[in-house]
Amino acid sequence: MTEAILRIRNLRTYFFTRRGIVKAVDGIDFDLRKSECLCLVGESGCGKTVTALSILNLVDSPPGRVVSGEIYYDSLNLLKCPPDQIRRIRGKEIAMVFQDAQSALNPVFTIGDQIAEQVKLRPEVNQREAKEQVINLLKEVGMPIPEKMIGYYPHQLSGGMRQRAMIAMSLSGDPQILIADEPTTAVDVTVKGQILDIFSQLKSTRQMSLLFITHELGIVSEIGDRIMVMYGGKIVETATVSELLNNPKHPYTISLIKCLPDITQVMGRLESIPGTVPSLINPPSGCLFHPRCDKAMAVCSKEEPPPFIVAEGRTVFCHLYSRPER
Amino acid sequence: MTNRLKSTRSITRKVDRVKNLAFIIAMVLLVTTLLLDIFVIEMIFDLLTYLYIALGLLFVRYGIPLLYASRRLIQYYWQRAIKNKLAVGGLVFILLLILLAFIGPLFTVDPTAVNFDEKNLPPLGFTIEESVYKIETKQFITSRITGTSEHPLGTDDKGRDLLAMIVSGTRVSLQVGLFATGIAIILGTLIGVSAAYLGGKTDNILMRFTDIMMTFPFFLLLVFIVFIFGPNLALIVIVIGLTGWTGTARLIRSESLSLRTREFVMASKALGASDRRIILSHLIPNVISLIIVIATLSIPGVILAEAALSFIGLGDPSVASWGMILKAGQQNLDTTWWVAVAPGIMLFLTVLAFNFLGDGLRDAFDPRSNI
Repeated sequence: MTEAILRIRNLRTYFFTRRGIVKAVDGIDFDLRKSECLCLVGESGCGKTVTALSILNLVDSPPGRVVSGEIYYDSLNLLKCPPDQIRRIRGKEIAMVFQDAQSALNPVFTIGDQIAEQVKLRPEVNQREAKEQVINLLKEVGMPIPEKMIGYYPHQLSGGMRQRAMIAMSLSGDPQILIADEPTTAVDVTVKGQILDIFSQLKSTRQMSLLFITHELGIVSEIGDRIMVMYGGKIVETATVSELLNNPKHPYTISLIKCLPDITQVMGRLESIPGTVPSLINPPSGCLFHPRCDKAMAVCSKEEPPPFIVAEGRTVFCHLYSRPER
Repeated sequence: MTNRLKSTRSITRKVDRVKNLAFIIAMVLLVTTLLLDIFVIEMIFDLLTYLYIALGLLFVRYGIPLLYASRRLIQYYWQRAIKNKLAVGGLVFILLLILLAFIGPLFTVDPTAVNFDEKNLPPLGFTIEESVYKIETKQFITSRITGTSEHPLGTDDKGRDLLAMIVSGTRVSLQVGLFATGIAIILGTLIGVSAAYLGGKTDNILMRFTDIMMTFPFFLLLVFIVFIFGPNLALIVIVIGLTGWTGTARLIRSESLSLRTREFVMASKALGASDRRIILSHLIPNVISLIIVIATLSIPGVILAEAALSFIGLGDPSVASWGMILKAGQQNLDTTWWVAVAPGIMLFLTVLAFNFLGDGLRDAFDPRSNI
């Protein structure tokens, strides 16, 4: 097994609001290994984005705060870093691609200028070299005619091109880890495929580690190596992609996969999971999923499920798998 | 990799470092000359000149790069603004004024030259009747005085050429208007953007400070300061600048508050940009249109404030500002009416021109208006 480049232990990020404490991320552990693509999957509001922002120390404070946990990059605990050092890590070691490139690019600068920001920070780079590097970066993400495109403003580009520019921008610091927060949500289906291709290409050419956040299981099967399913600020299941898709263990994962439309069969209504995402201010007791779970048992509403290792590298947080031992 | 993490070199661009260094050296030089000037030798320049040089340096270091960075925005708005005829008229008038202030004094006579033989001459094309007591004949004779082409706008009661006075007054009024507004805009923008971006306690402290400054009757303060330190144009400019930023700060803050939550600020942070960098290169270029409008609309207020101050007799007596001429003229309004009318018209037109331009720019910058 390759070594972990990012280790997250017992991360808890809470938001202290007037209505109460929102436990957006509540005690998660995971490792991101070198040059793998780890997918983080879950419904809206389950804490995926907050996890990503916590890694970069970008949680808005107040109201948010990382209340406990450790995030190790190499041997460095990012949560204990002074602001100056974490700034050096952002973009250079760990970079992030945002969901909506339209709003994540500054409307008053050309994309060339914006990508060059990071490149120019290197002391040995002069103006001309910086421009060359920007063009190379744009080429790498498959931007057509990059020499011309660097003079364009974000609003002059199509959604796909903007997303490419955004990716090029995040690559400009030559990071080891790329966190992609739903990078395909704002683009249409054909572009989605191209963007995914860019990511898998980057993974192999740059030996980068990817933390890919998405809510679409379809994407995961294309790009992911391993997958984590998140529910209500907690991880409920970790597995390799093929195992998880073919043999889901957690009832939540099972129902998620059931919700995927299958184009080979004529179906009536699409499946959906009954109920709604639990309130994170006032979460249900025990397992967070038990009110919506069709296999719920008495113990589910009382005790929080501990991790059960069902196979090598495969963890499920569900009481169903504790029964045989009892 | 550990080496990469531990590198302590500050993250500043090479170009920026050179620029910063040049800027700091220039500023230090300026302050040294100023100190030398005050304590060692007699004044080489007056205080106002130092202020101009300092503001000029600031503009070259920060203003020009900012304007250059937002050139597309400015170009776009420019095209919208020139569709407004009144605004273009205002701009043309202002440009002419600036030209007049710069090269006008080269063509006019000395505005301070007193000549009692030619006092109270009416403007060119006007004729007045004047009763003069002749000592030789011991009787009043009525003589008709016609304006001459030597003094196209006439002369005042000390025989000073009014045209020359107006031209030198243009310089004073524009200086006061531009530089006091310059100081106010810089302060207001920095305070407004910082308050919005840093938020929390900093925001609270800065905005309460703004509130306190707002409640302060600035004209009274101005009168007070002139009373204590004596009338000095540089002082007046500085005081107007240091008290006039409050409205700007509030407007800029409210505009930046919505910008702060935009994703590109977060994206820039995620790529390792510093707070200073985000404020200077992401927030301010996005509010530059607002800054230009506020600046244009606040210049006439400042010019009027200086005129009012001169009018009540608290202006700098060593410079012939429009307010000073106006004040001198209004005492003899029944006889030598032209002395007060000329600066009055100039003030009126200048204020109107800035207001037209400002209104035009505001309409051009307003995304909801369809020009």
